[in-house]
Amino acid sequence: MSLFPILGRRAALAGVAGLALASVARAEQTATPRRGGTLRIATLGLDTADPHRHTGSIAVQQAYVEALTSIGPNGTVEPFLAEAFEVSADGRVYSFRLREGVRFHDGSALTSAEVVANLERVKSRIRGGWLATAMRIAEAFEAPDAHTVVIRIREPYAPLLNLLSELWILSPNSPGWDETITHPIGTGPFTFGEWRPKARFTAPAFTGYWQAGRPYLAGLEFDLRDDADHSLALRAGDLHIASIGRDKLASLSRDPAIRIGRQKDTNWFFVSFNNRSPRPPFDDLRLRRAIAYALDKRAFMNFAAGPDGIVTNQMVVPGNAYFDQAMHDADPHARPDLDHARALLREAGVDPAKRRIELVSWQESYAQVVVQMVSRLGFPVNHVALDDLGAQRRLGQYDWDLAVFSSGPRADLFLRYVRLMSDGPNPVLWGGVQDPEYDALVGAAVREPDLKRRAAAYNRAWQRVMDRYYTVVLGHSQNIIAHRAEVRNWDPGFTWSCHWTSGGVAQTWLAPQGSASQG
Amino acid sequence: MSATTMPATGPARRWRLSGLLAGIVVALALLLAVLGPVLVQQDPLAQDLLALNEPPSGAHPLGTDHLGRDVLARLASGARLTLLVGVGGATLAFLLGAGLGLLALALGGAARAAAFAAFDLLRALPGILLAMLLVAALAPGPASIMLALGLSYAPMVAEVARAAHARESASDYVAAARAFGLSRLAVLMRHVLPNLVGALLTLAAIILPRCIVTESVLSFLGLGGTPELPSWGRMIADAGNFAEEAPHAVLAPVLALSLFTLALSVLGERARAAADPLRGGTS
Repeated sequence: MSLFPILGRRAALAGVAGLALASVARAEQTATPRRGGTLRIATLGLDTADPHRHTGSIAVQQAYVEALTSIGPNGTVEPFLAEAFEVSADGRVYSFRLREGVRFHDGSALTSAEVVANLERVKSRIRGGWLATAMRIAEAFEAPDAHTVVIRIREPYAPLLNLLSELWILSPNSPGWDETITHPIGTGPFTFGEWRPKARFTAPAFTGYWQAGRPYLAGLEFDLRDDADHSLALRAGDLHIASIGRDKLASLSRDPAIRIGRQKDTNWFFVSFNNRSPRPPFDDLRLRRAIAYALDKRAFMNFAAGPDGIVTNQMVVPGNAYFDQAMHDADPHARPDLDHARALLREAGVDPAKRRIELVSWQESYAQVVVQMVSRLGFPVNHVALDDLGAQRRLGQYDWDLAVFSSGPRADLFLRYVRLMSDGPNPVLWGGVQDPEYDALVGAAVREPDLKRRAAAYNRAWQRVMDRYYTVVLGHSQNIIAHRAEVRNWDPGFTWSCHWTSGGVAQTWLAPQGSASQG
Repeated sequence: MSATTMPATGPARRWRLSGLLAGIVVALALLLAVLGPVLVQQDPLAQDLLALNEPPSGAHPLGTDHLGRDVLARLASGARLTLLVGVGGATLAFLLGAGLGLLALALGGAARAAAFAAFDLLRALPGILLAMLLVAALAPGPASIMLALGLSYAPMVAEVARAAHARESASDYVAAARAFGLSRLAVLMRHVLPNLVGALLTLAAIILPRCIVTESVLSFLGLGGTPELPSWGRMIADAGNFAEEAPHAVLAPVLALSLFTLALSVLGERARAAADPLRGGTS
């Protein structure tokens, strides 16, 4: 007679295994932190020593620099160097109360004067970038006392608190402050150690860190090589935490020494048209619609992200405050329709066999799936697969027709919308949209303090993107960040950041190897 | 008693057997390259996203790759591209190295100095590095790789041609031809060139496998043009990431490339021995 008459053997075994895993996980999280050890990480690279001049690769510098705010695991803003903040009723005045006892790595104290100096530096010295819009509307930075900072802006700007999580506060004594900082002096739990670009970065622990007793680790070591197979290094114990491709997931999941985690925000995959300088007939909306009808989003996402892939037509996924279910349900391209696509091509007078598509992508397999889908309409496709820099250069020439790319987590939704704005940073992946009407719609959204109305305003801008077929969203997936079992108090955050108020490397510690199985 | 009727010794039997096996492998590869599309009905570009990394089966004798493409079809199609680019590159190396080199030698003076200065300049860079630089500069693709291979290996051919030319030029028959009033070019074409054929054939057997391997390396590094285009190097690069999950997809092109280049080397050794009157056709 079965011991599990109701549940069945499989369910019961799964339950027992789940309980065992849960107890191990609980034991791992509640054990007394152990001091020492060097945590070896490989996620993204480090493109500059000057945190104010970063170009998007932000996974390393949070170890040694901090900001007024940080992004929590659910995407909400957490107070960081500011222990509290307040926004005026008209949305134009932001007041921050700084934490007491925060010191820079050179021993000097953090006061409001240093914060204002950083705000002024970003406003006056940094051209373009993620904070350009925020700095353009900033009217004044004030320091009424040693621990209060006030930012006055010309008009309400909803993303400001989120974006301030990427305005890192450095000591003005940092070498290179007047031009390009070469050795950042921050307040983070680790200090800026030795940097060998594209190879390695070390960050020794900061003994005067403001979170008492932290960090537990003696230091961090980042592997910055972007072509290395992290999964093998992880299994061999040469790395403790690493981002891994989906192709390595199966083998890593079988390894009892490895834990699999997922970033909380998503990667979104899209097919963009050349919007800056479209070559006929790609300026014809019917042809763009035909291409969109040829895309099988479900098949693509199954390939790119497995069963966890989320198919939608928006920049965010279900569950996000900005997600619009009605818009999702009305997606005419939720399923491929080749007959409709061919009819549109006939209507537009396009003979696909006579028009070669120039398609640009990174050297990622998922782009080849789109090539196959588009080829089904009869188009010959010249697929140019390039590395990051090569792709940026080629895309910037606007001599192509289609681009297949993905974009990673961001601290605020605006950082996705801004890429399609006329003056947006690095707009090439989205075909260099130049649309004043879209700009105005996004502008209206960021000025709206009420979340519900702001979501509606953003979605009006997105509807315009979909109607004009600037870019077609295929779906979303979560990045996989795996870690070894001896790594404790670590769980991937919302973005690539390795350190935030409620988590990250300041709280992480290393148990002796092999202790995981005993909890 | 003639040599052909003598009983074969152990080493001689092995010599002949390895030559035969090498010939079979090369013939099979050529057959695959020429008749691939007839022999294998599957489209090498067709993806089946519901059959990723499938092991060998009746429908896919060598399994499928990470995009659900038939590995055998890609191997056959890749053989054509790999051989075409390899042979094309080697041919170009001979045209540039032997053709231009011998012409410059025949003309002598400034032409000779300029041509061999250019070859020395090319030779100063490692072949693979030169090929990578050229392909990167010319835009990745089979034509660029062919040109890069030609330029990379031309200096080696030119050097061999120069040495052989110097040896033949010192011969009495060349002096006699000149005494009869033949021009340098005529002496080169009628007397020197026919005597260089053996040395150049031997060199071809060395350079051809090198060109094929270099083509595979360049494709492996992503310099082979559009990623959909199958070549053995590209197949190895693509399947390498899935070696644990789908070893068949990486083993097939690795074995094909290894066996084919080994067979070419063996045949080259045989050609060299056959052209050497002192070795009597065996090693």
